[in-house]
Amino acid sequence: MSETMDRSKTIELRVLRYRPASDSEPVFVSYRVPYSDDMSVLQALQSIKDSQDGSLSFRWSCRMAICGSCGMMINGEPKLACNTFVRDLAPNAATIEPLQNFPIERDLVVTVGDFVKKIESIYPYIIPKVQKPIEEGAYLQTPAQMAAYESFSDCINCMLCYAACPQFGANPDFIGPGAMAMLQRYNADSRDGGRQLRLDQINGEDGVWSCTAVGICSEVCPKAVDPANAVNQNKTNSALDFFLRAVRPQAKPEPRS
Amino acid sequence: MSEGISERRPFHRPQPRHWWAHKPYLAYTLRELCGVAVALYGAILLAGLVCLWRGQAAFDLYRRVLGSEASLLVHLALLAAVLWHVVTWFQILPKTMPKLILGGRLVPPRAVTALALLLAFVCSAGLLAVVIVIGAFA
Repeated sequence: MSETMDRSKTIELRVLRYRPASDSEPVFVSYRVPYSDDMSVLQALQSIKDSQDGSLSFRWSCRMAICGSCGMMINGEPKLACNTFVRDLAPNAATIEPLQNFPIERDLVVTVGDFVKKIESIYPYIIPKVQKPIEEGAYLQTPAQMAAYESFSDCINCMLCYAACPQFGANPDFIGPGAMAMLQRYNADSRDGGRQLRLDQINGEDGVWSCTAVGICSEVCPKAVDPANAVNQNKTNSALDFFLRAVRPQAKPEPRS
Repeated sequence: MSEGISERRPFHRPQPRHWWAHKPYLAYTLRELCGVAVALYGAILLAGLVCLWRGQAAFDLYRRVLGSEASLLVHLALLAAVLWHVVTWFQILPKTMPKLILGGRLVPPRAVTALALLLAFVCSAGLLAVVIVIGAFA
């Protein structure tokens, strides 16, 4: 048996559990899990669910850091469980908690409804500057025009940035880094004409202005999206929008119904 | 799904009270606090201007106070705080500006930080040199 398949090593995982039907508040429960060098924290949780406690709840899907489902606090840091190796946590005991700043539904599962509403609120699709029929071909873009928004299009909606944001923790209505990355992905797209529509959503305290440039959102991002850049660019845009409101043309592009 | 009694009872965990005093937020907290040091140093310079305006005696007193040991210690502490402010602020600079695209390629954020730090260093050293030269001929 190769070294990586050897499962003689074990790690203690302290998992914050909350069962709404029976627990009045979350409690830590310890599990000792055999692990191999190629095992992710997600696999360790799956092994607990398979062989120790079938009631342990957590979200997951792709196992390869692309679906954004398995975000959780691992030793206090927001991380994707599929993207974190057990070998990097061992031999010490590791704590696993649901994402900070979100209500806990059950165990490691948090409420995502508000986040989805925020994403919806910023028109997360291209609203073409000029509508043209299919016969006229695709909307073209140069590599330089694409570079202006490309990193923001890599967001997988894992919400790690929200768990890292103390301002979102203090004000749950703050639109937050993830939705702003999505907004900038479309506003910076040369084919898009919906900029004003989106800017109207982010003025004020619950918009960009709750951000105090802490910047940790960008550091925890597993896809190097740099959401802090999206938020802070739009402080400038929001301020300009405020002062130019009186002189700008009022015509707005129609949103997709 | 819509029938029956829901067992949903979302639990709201409070934000840790002293989040700002711990890693990774401590560097940010210090950066913002150092803004106070920048303001303090501004106030010291302003006091010098006011003394200059009030006349020779006041300005001589201001210079004597500046030359005292306590003042030198305060200035050393202020210098350290301002340096931290400069470094951490330029680290966050690329996050506050539009993406820089030169020749169709994205300029990496680290290059922006390095260039800004270099500029700040060159300007500070240049200003210091000018002051020393003027002082030598005065």
